[in-house]
Parts: sequence; structure tokens; C-alpha cells
Amino acid sequence: MSRQLLRNAKERLRSFLSECGSRARVLRDSLRRQLNRIDPSSRFAPGFRYEYWEREARGLELLKQWLSPEQFAQYDVKSYFEVIGYHSGKRYRISRGTSMNIHELDGAGCPCVGWCFVPKGHLVAGDIMLAQKIALETDERGALAVANRFSVSTGRRNMLLYPAMP
Amino acid sequence: MATQIVMDRTGDTRHNFDAKNADALLKAEERFRELTGAGFTAAVRTASGEAMVKRTFDPNAEETLFFPRLVGG
Repeated sequence: MSRQLLRNAKERLRSFLSECGSRARVLRDSLRRQLNRIDPSSRFAPGFRYEYWEREARGLELLKQWLSPEQFAQYDVKSYFEVIGYHSGKRYRISRGTSMNIHELDGAGCPCVGWCFVPKGHLVAGDIMLAQKIALETDERGALAVANRFSVSTGRRNMLLYPAMP
Repeated sequence: MATQIVMDRTGDTRHNFDAKNADALLKAEERFRELTGAGFTAAVRTASGEAMVKRTFDPNAEETLFFPRLVGG
């Protein structure tokens, strides 16, 4: 009796998965046909005229124009630069990236706390890093008030996020 | 020639204008108000290269950068 039930269940599952597979193939083929009809230069979003690397390069170019000579030299060699917080005088390291890329440094220059805040919207890495730099250098408290803080003791992945302290 | 740089998904959009032209200056001031009113932060670079936030339109600024409101990431 139970074997018969199990056999029926297996058969129904096999049939269900087969149906799902065929529907997925139809959907995939349909999406491919639609993508081929779209102009590649505007494939990702309406009005998206710039290719990914061109946009990234523009952002990095703008960032480099606004970095101090020391920050520029540091970024050129290490892919990160350091800024001094406007209110506390603490040092922060801004690494190349778009999120979870700010680390507060202790007296020895080691990362002790991570901070995450970004300008709203879909911006390129260079723009994000530049906004972070300006925010920390001109309105550190305001930036950290909206930021999420994360621990850096266990590495950069799977870090616990929790609201910033007031 | 002065420039207003607005960060956006293309990297940035630049608005160049002649600061000696009254109409162009008025338009630039209007853009400044619209952007800051929408939550953008306006920043300029001082002679020493430091960034400075501007709450009001500076007709003498050669380059003004606008970035969107900051949010927790």
C-alpha cells in the first residue's frame, strides 16, 4: 500500500518537474529573443547609453581629480586611500568598492570598525568612494549617523550588521 | 567656464555655463536649488584642494559636485 503511494508520488513529482523544465525552456527562449531585439548599448536599463567600463572609468577619473596628491598616490598603489574624519579626527580607509568598503583605523593604523554608507541610487564605484570621502571630510557625524556599522574582526564576509550608535 | 557635475548612473552629467552670463548663472542657481532640494549635497574644492560643502549657490565656484543623499549600505 505504502509502496504504491510512494510510486504514485514519485510519478507525480517527475511529471511536475518535467513540466517545470519545459516551461523554463520556453521562458528562456522567449527572453533570448527579446534581448536580441534590444539595442546592446541600452540593454540594461532605459537611457543607459554608457557601457559598464566607460561608466566605471568616468567615475574613477572624477574621483582621482578630487583626491589630494597623497590620497591619489596611496590609491594608485594600494587601491585604497585614507581620509581624516571632520569631527573626530579619526582616520578612515576607503577601499575600492561599492559597499562595506570603509574601515575606521585604530592608532596603529589597523581596521577596527567597518562603516557602510553610500549615496542613494545606482552609482559607479568611483562616485561612491568620492561621496564617502567628501562626507567623512566635511560632515563625519552626519555620514556615520546614517551608516551601518560592522565588525571587522571576523573578516569582511558575513559580518554582523547593526545600526550605528548615535 | 564653470561646471556643475551631477553624479548619476552614467558616471556623471556635466553642465557647463558661462559664469559671466546672467541668464546662464540664473539657470545654474536654479539647478543648484533643485538638486539640493531633492537631497543632493553640493561640494566644491577650495584653493588648497580640500572639499567643502555648499548650502547656498556660489556664483564664483568653478566646479560644483553634486552627489545624492547618503543612506546606510
